[in-house]
Amino acid sequence: MLKELDPLLHSQLRLAVVSILMSVDEADFVYLREKTNATAGNLSIQLEKLSGAGYIETKRNMEGKKTRTICRMTDKGKNAFEEYVKALKGYLFIK
Amino acid sequence: MEEKDLTEKESLELIARMIQSSKENMEVGRGNRFLYWGYFTVTLSIVVYVLVALTNNSIWSCSWMLMFGFWGFISYKEKKPVVVTYTDKVINQVWRVMGYMFILTFIVVSILQLIAHYPSLSLMMPLSLLYVGIGVSITGIILQDKWLIYSPFISFVITFYMLTMLIIRGPSNSWSLLFGFAFGIMYIIPGHIMNHKAHR
Repeated sequence: MLKELDPLLHSQLRLAVVSILMSVDEADFVYLREKTNATAGNLSIQLEKLSGAGYIETKRNMEGKKTRTICRMTDKGKNAFEEYVKALKGYLFIK
Repeated sequence: MEEKDLTEKESLELIARMIQSSKENMEVGRGNRFLYWGYFTVTLSIVVYVLVALTNNSIWSCSWMLMFGFWGFISYKEKKPVVVTYTDKVINQVWRVMGYMFILTFIVVSILQLIAHYPSLSLMMPLSLLYVGIGVSITGIILQDKWLIYSPFISFVITFYMLTMLIIRGPSNSWSLLFGFAFGIMYIIPGHIMNHKAHR
């Protein structure tokens, strides 16, 4: 029986964010927005969902007068992503 | 990009696309730090050499202290990167250790010079060159860049030359030029190579 795909990751923007964060150690909000072409508002909501599930952690730093948000994957998020890819392969019959 | 559900195939394609796109701009600007340090040190080495040669006063060698100032300036001016890779993190740690070794050596030789009146400050130049060479070589191993791995060999040769000369004849003003030459080989050339590769 095929494993159900994690609904939190099976969404375009959240999956894009997680894929980027899996390939780097940390990335800031502006970088993620540019790479995903998402609006700031939508990206914030999706980051909150991922953060709420414990998949990513966010850190806010003050740089001059601006706030900088830095995101990175948690171990839980990394495991979830790996499981998600494994499940995807099952659906697509990839070994 | 919106929040929408995907087919399994679209998911895999999206993952591959995002990983590729974040890989693409990792390399851009990596050579800049090498170029800043390279050009600054080569210029400073020539300035120190000329000042000491013209005035016949080795007090001008103290201008090397400007390296500390430049370190502070670069750290203050450099923008925080928008993305940090695992490689960046390891390289930063390597240079942090090299920086601590440099500061520790400076403190020890300064104390020896002031208290024991042993002319140990002359050791600073060969030892700095050795630390920097090790740092560049390790960076090269991490980045798998042959020029970075092997170009510090020139600094190791110069370090041994300086240490030998220190025992035989004492320090010489020409060391400044040798120091600048080693930096040109280890910093300027690889810096340009890295930036060239990144923009290709």
